[in-house]
Amino acid sequence: MKVQVLQENLQRGLSIVGRAVATRSTLPITANVLLMTDKGRLKLAATDLDISISTWVGAKIDEDGATTVPSRLIGDFVSSLPPATVSLEIPERGRQLKLECARNESSIHTMDAEDFPRIHSFSEGVSLILDPKALRKTIERVEFAAASDDSRPVLTGVHVKADGARLTFASADGFRLAVSDITLPAAPSDAVEVIVPARALREVARLVGESSEPVEMRLNPQRTQVLFSVGDTELVAQLIQGTFPNYNQLIPADYNTKATVSVEEFKRETRIAAIFARDGSGIVRLQLVPGNGMPGKLTISARADEIGDNNGEIDAKIEGDASKIAFNSRYLQDVLNALSGEVELQMTSPSSQGVFRPVVAEGEPKDYVHVVMPMFVQW
Amino acid sequence: MPHSRPSVIHVDLDAFFVSMELLRHPELRGQPVIVAGGLGNRGVVSTCSYEARKFGVRSAMPVSQARRLCPAAVYLETDFSWYAPASRKFHAILRDYTPVVEPAGADEAYLDVAGSERLFGDAPAIAAAIRQRVRDEIGITASAGVSINKLVSKVASDAGKPDGLVVVPAGEEAAFFAPRPIRELPMVGPKTAATLATLGIKTIGDIARMPPAALVARFGSHGAELAARARGVFDAPVLSGHAAAKSVSREMTFDADEPSRDRLRAVLRGQAERVAADLAHQGRSARTVTLKLRFPPFETLTRSWTGPTSVDLADDLFEAGANLFERAWEEHGRRPVRLLGLGAANLQERARQLRLGDTGDTDRLAEAVADLRARFGEASVQRAAELGQHVARADVPAFRPFAAPEPADDDVPERTTPQVRAT
Repeated sequence: MKVQVLQENLQRGLSIVGRAVATRSTLPITANVLLMTDKGRLKLAATDLDISISTWVGAKIDEDGATTVPSRLIGDFVSSLPPATVSLEIPERGRQLKLECARNESSIHTMDAEDFPRIHSFSEGVSLILDPKALRKTIERVEFAAASDDSRPVLTGVHVKADGARLTFASADGFRLAVSDITLPAAPSDAVEVIVPARALREVARLVGESSEPVEMRLNPQRTQVLFSVGDTELVAQLIQGTFPNYNQLIPADYNTKATVSVEEFKRETRIAAIFARDGSGIVRLQLVPGNGMPGKLTISARADEIGDNNGEIDAKIEGDASKIAFNSRYLQDVLNALSGEVELQMTSPSSQGVFRPVVAEGEPKDYVHVVMPMFVQW
Repeated sequence: MPHSRPSVIHVDLDAFFVSMELLRHPELRGQPVIVAGGLGNRGVVSTCSYEARKFGVRSAMPVSQARRLCPAAVYLETDFSWYAPASRKFHAILRDYTPVVEPAGADEAYLDVAGSERLFGDAPAIAAAIRQRVRDEIGITASAGVSINKLVSKVASDAGKPDGLVVVPAGEEAAFFAPRPIRELPMVGPKTAATLATLGIKTIGDIARMPPAALVARFGSHGAELAARARGVFDAPVLSGHAAAKSVSREMTFDADEPSRDRLRAVLRGQAERVAADLAHQGRSARTVTLKLRFPPFETLTRSWTGPTSVDLADDLFEAGANLFERAWEEHGRRPVRLLGLGAANLQERARQLRLGDTGDTDRLAEAVADLRARFGEASVQRAAELGQHVARADVPAFRPFAAPEPADDDVPERTTPQVRAT
């Protein structure tokens, strides 16, 4: 193999695929990154067996070939090089990758590309074209509500289901539920209902970044894998098999009290209350006080036995009865961080769901709902 | 703390449930009346009138047995909704005299009036006033004992039953105890009594005369306590429920070392229920659950578990406690257990993250049970698993050595002691 590539392209590619490198694995080669020539470009790939990321960078290919080298080592090395052309070469039957850049020369021990886990790419199966901004926004609105422990594997994923041209993403960790919609340009050619690991979607959001190129999401015909194609990069993830709980019944249709407030103010007071709540059980208490003609208010308070207490107040439009509800400060901050503008909080009683919805302009789709279970506290 | 003057009062409503039934059924006065939780064969006698006791009927006896002993009695089912307001009124009366009130059930409580005497007169005067107010405001009678500590006051109020007041002057505790039968000493259960009987011991005074070393040799640490208590020595203070506790626990010493896993788990379950009730009462939840185990003779070990979130429900306390127990018991070759205790520590504000799909019913149920227990005593609501094993009766709170049946009045004692005041 003999290839010449610009240092900054190689560095960018290595940092993209580096996200999929296994950090702890019983299979040592998964700590490596695959380098191979592919149709006139250099392909970089890494996998931890759950997720694989491949990316292609422009290169001058003098001789085809493939190898693997430790990801961390080559990543640190390349990012330290000056911005110049890097030449990569493995002599015939050689076991070392020779790298030259400006007046620097090094060689790195390799492992055989034949032993690298095969990364599936597929072009068959149902394909969806997604708007990058909408996708990233939706992922950021749901990924944090997925479970982080493995006790119920389906809950570590995000349920993705198409209904006509509406694609719904939902996640729930047992205490909260996030549901967000994307409108597709057209209904998919085949039914879509899969559970994508939340971690894979987080990586997709990162890959999308500020890009404005449409993202392709493709499911293999066996419905065991999903492929996201973002520019020159592909991410393939194993789908989570199982049945996602039917969550629609957990979103109450009615409410007794609704508060409409500024997300920024709500977020600020919650952040302050959380400082006081963190030594206790993380309890933030909310009181919804109607104004009776005057503007109503929302109070956000917390107290800690041996520390002190805190009480914040913001203007709110309150519909319905005066009411109160307590939330875990983290859950409250998580949902507020996913929102902007104004938010509605709907509730029925202190021991039933708190429902958060962004306030949208007339005619815009109501595309997000977040349900948080309260904490049962002594008021 | 022991006082130099008698200032600890034990007040106990006489045959509480029966007295309440007689209030609304005056025609039953003078007849044997038995109030039971369930009138079928599986029902258990809650309280019986003094007339029924003459036939040998006792609290905690199966209804079927009571029917054999006293078929002519009037059998009534317990009606807590009728007793609850009276119980609340009773405790409210007590709190008029001092905030230092330690409830010991729906119908009994300890008071320490050392700080109230300037306002209301000495302890015997306060006890008399309380008895009068119970009679005037509720319409039933109460017995009271006054002494320097809870143990002697408890025995004294039992001695005064029904409708009596017994004052034991400071320094006369041992003399007051001496002639009384050993079963009147709260820590003497049937098994201890039987063992003592084989030694020829009949009265509490007989126990006091035994060399403590001989009792220790026979009963271990239980023997040392027995020796002290037979002399009327007891120093647990009256605890008003409102002091914020740092931890809550229950423990139980078995009469005979307990080998049965099922029984041990059932006891643990009962302790979890009661610790949970205490936590509910105090509005706390626990980050840490502790288990205490003692193997004979004195090998004591404690284990603890701290969870990611706090626990407050009996099921969760039990699960944590049972895990600790199983591991510790396994490590010790599953030997018979002398003492088993469950505790909650690292207390914090009571709060529980509800899960999607929860309705808060679990919490409301737990609070309702805790409320019933607070009003009617711990035996009022029990797990089916505990029934038939006398767990509730034997289950001694760490601070309360009196495992008296509830509502507690086993026998009608003689009222011939010189300390009985006219009523």
